[in-house]
Amino acid sequence: MINLTIDGKTIEVQEGTTVLEAAEAAGVYVPTLCHHPQLTPYGGCRLCMVEVEGARTLQPSCTMPASDGMVIHTGSKKVLDARKFVLTLIFSERNHFCMYCQVSNGDCELQNRAYDEGMTHWDLQPNWQPFEVDASHPFIILDNNRCILCRRCVRACGELVGNYTLGFEERGADSLLVADYNVPLGESTCISCGTCVQICPTGALIDRQSAYQGRETEVDHHVGVCTECSVGCQRDVLTRDNRLIRIEGEWDSDLTHGLLCDQGRFIPLEEDRSRLLTPLVRKDGNLKAATWDEALKAVADGLGKGKGLAALASTRLPAEDLALFKSIFSDRLDAEIVTTLEEGSATASLSSFAEKQGKSFESSLDALKETEAVLALELDLVDEHQVAGFFIKRQLLTGTKLIVADSNPNKFSEKAAVRLSLDQGSETEFLAQLLEAVKNGSDDPDQNAAVKALTEAEKPCVVYGEKFAQNADEKALETLVKLANALNASLIGVKGNANSMAAAQLGLESPLKANGYKSAFVMLGDEKPSQKLVKALEEVPFVVAQAAYGSQLTGNADVILPVTTWAEQSGTYLSLDGRLQKAIKALDAPEGILTSQEALRKVAEVLSVEPDMDWKAALFARVPTVEIKEA
Amino acid sequence: MGKPKVASDWLCGCAGCHMSLLDIDERILQVVELVDLRATPITDLKEPDVDGVTVGILEGGINNTYNEEVAIRMRERCKILVALGDCAVFGGVPAMRNFCGAEAALQRAYVDAESNDSEGKIPSSPELAKMTRVRAVSEVVPVDLFIPGCPPDADTIFYALVELAQGRIPEIKDDKLHWH
Repeated sequence: MINLTIDGKTIEVQEGTTVLEAAEAAGVYVPTLCHHPQLTPYGGCRLCMVEVEGARTLQPSCTMPASDGMVIHTGSKKVLDARKFVLTLIFSERNHFCMYCQVSNGDCELQNRAYDEGMTHWDLQPNWQPFEVDASHPFIILDNNRCILCRRCVRACGELVGNYTLGFEERGADSLLVADYNVPLGESTCISCGTCVQICPTGALIDRQSAYQGRETEVDHHVGVCTECSVGCQRDVLTRDNRLIRIEGEWDSDLTHGLLCDQGRFIPLEEDRSRLLTPLVRKDGNLKAATWDEALKAVADGLGKGKGLAALASTRLPAEDLALFKSIFSDRLDAEIVTTLEEGSATASLSSFAEKQGKSFESSLDALKETEAVLALELDLVDEHQVAGFFIKRQLLTGTKLIVADSNPNKFSEKAAVRLSLDQGSETEFLAQLLEAVKNGSDDPDQNAAVKALTEAEKPCVVYGEKFAQNADEKALETLVKLANALNASLIGVKGNANSMAAAQLGLESPLKANGYKSAFVMLGDEKPSQKLVKALEEVPFVVAQAAYGSQLTGNADVILPVTTWAEQSGTYLSLDGRLQKAIKALDAPEGILTSQEALRKVAEVLSVEPDMDWKAALFARVPTVEIKEA
Repeated sequence: MGKPKVASDWLCGCAGCHMSLLDIDERILQVVELVDLRATPITDLKEPDVDGVTVGILEGGINNTYNEEVAIRMRERCKILVALGDCAVFGGVPAMRNFCGAEAALQRAYVDAESNDSEGKIPSSPELAKMTRVRAVSEVVPVDLFIPGCPPDADTIFYALVELAQGRIPEIKDDKLHWH
């Protein structure tokens, strides 16, 4: 432990703590700009300069390691003058006139720091050199005129996301933030995760969708889990006057620390489908607007029960809704099939294996963050479950080896250090061979390289995707667990949508067979129904669709119950690694729209069934593939 | 000792800061009790007293040779020079033309603008002042007090005037500090 004195306060800190961290721990505020808690200290902006007794010059506190007996002053005249001077230099370098900028009045860290220092003006004028604004990206505007060269975005793009799109060209005053080798951002390797926009302290990177829509002081925050995929990132949904403004990652979350992908951040704001705003009932061949009572009566008259009834739910809906759905249709109405739109493809084999074993066998996503080798089986973390992919990608340059085994290459497998071929249907043989190679070596150089990386790693991970789960039988999974044991590896199964895992826990995993169903109840989330589903339901004489948006499926339905979108309801989600998290309602639904939960209860009422309301007990009733933790 | 004299003038601005000054409403009576309000663009007297005033206030940046003259005259005739508003403090909206140059700005406004007919031409009378880069007042003459804002709040202006009237230099910080 180290003892040091900061502004007269003595504090004890761990070795390796920076002076800035020590100051924070001592409750002493030191202003920063280029520093960000999620990034490696950089020492670029020099705003955090402090006076260290005995040191010849002021020192940047963000990069300076605390040492025993240090005496630090953060508020001396020398420090305050330097701070003002640093801000003056930054302001006068480019176009940092707040009145020309969208990101101001509380939203700009540069402006806020100057306000803190009571700066009424700065003495140096810029050279009025304009830089071109890059507006080629669908979601992001890159304006070098507002850049303070702090490189937070560059570091976030590399250190946090592992994408390395952003970088700097030229030196000194000519420094230019560029994408790749100076191509327009919209044509670059950018994956639109938006981390750079969120981390930019000024208006150099701004979000097109929310520009001029509302400042920090004018918006409401709703922090909860993202409802897109099963990674379960924490995000903050910003609204103003019941309008969606922007979605940001939650820096304080335990697992993802502010990261989101385009699906979680930008795409939800691009919604342009037509909203269903009233119940509809088919009369004389046409869908006609109806009251809830009329629509529910039509459901009661046409739905039937037992054999011939199919019930399908989206895995994007809250666990409460899925449990209620299961109770109504499986336990009470005894429907012929009760399943999800995913039909358990990403989970069924895994959960039945866990059940047979009587114990969980998978690990938390945290294991991915500090691993020296990853074996990826039929995995695509570039197009899906992207944030889990970030955890791996960002370590590839620091020595983590990615070994990919798949039947078809994808964008993720391109990043592999070692590629192995895995034929569909031969998962067991493949894993057995690898296990054998771990024990006794192999003649195959690729296999050898893979095994070498995995055995040398202290904490290797084996991650498998939906296709693997679909094809793997019990034997394959047994071999997988043996391999993991031999390697001391963590197993992580990447499941589908936000609540695939909850659906698995509820046993909603059966495949949908074309069986001549007489009626169907489909509870959609916000997804666009697949062609396969539309086709499967075309043959069914009576279809009830519960949905927020119009689609080909609702167009074919006989009764439509209009419900809320993801933003208009709260609910619980179970991530692929068992974190039980809440999604928080951010918007009020239009009048007359029910949440899917409320609509389901009304359906139960009109069908005269009393469902079991204990969703949590239902969720814990089965041995999970991974331990469930309430976050 | 008589009341301190205050004079003001506007340069390359929009008059908005003087409008904000008028927004102090009936409090202007308190100001007039404390100070002798002399030449301003909104009173009859147009030039600050030759024998000097205590406080000179300038709104607007300096965009031509005439503005320079006005600023220099005000500086010469006042003890404390106040730069009022973003334009006076750093150039403000007019300073955006510095990114393209005065020539291009004139061409756009008088010739190329969609609303002009085909005979649009840039005014060139010798009586017109010569345009320069848009500058903060402090780039031309020393400034003693900066009150940023576009415009500064009426409350801030009132506070500043009252402080100045009583011989103190106002402290512009926290709530009073807004750059636009």
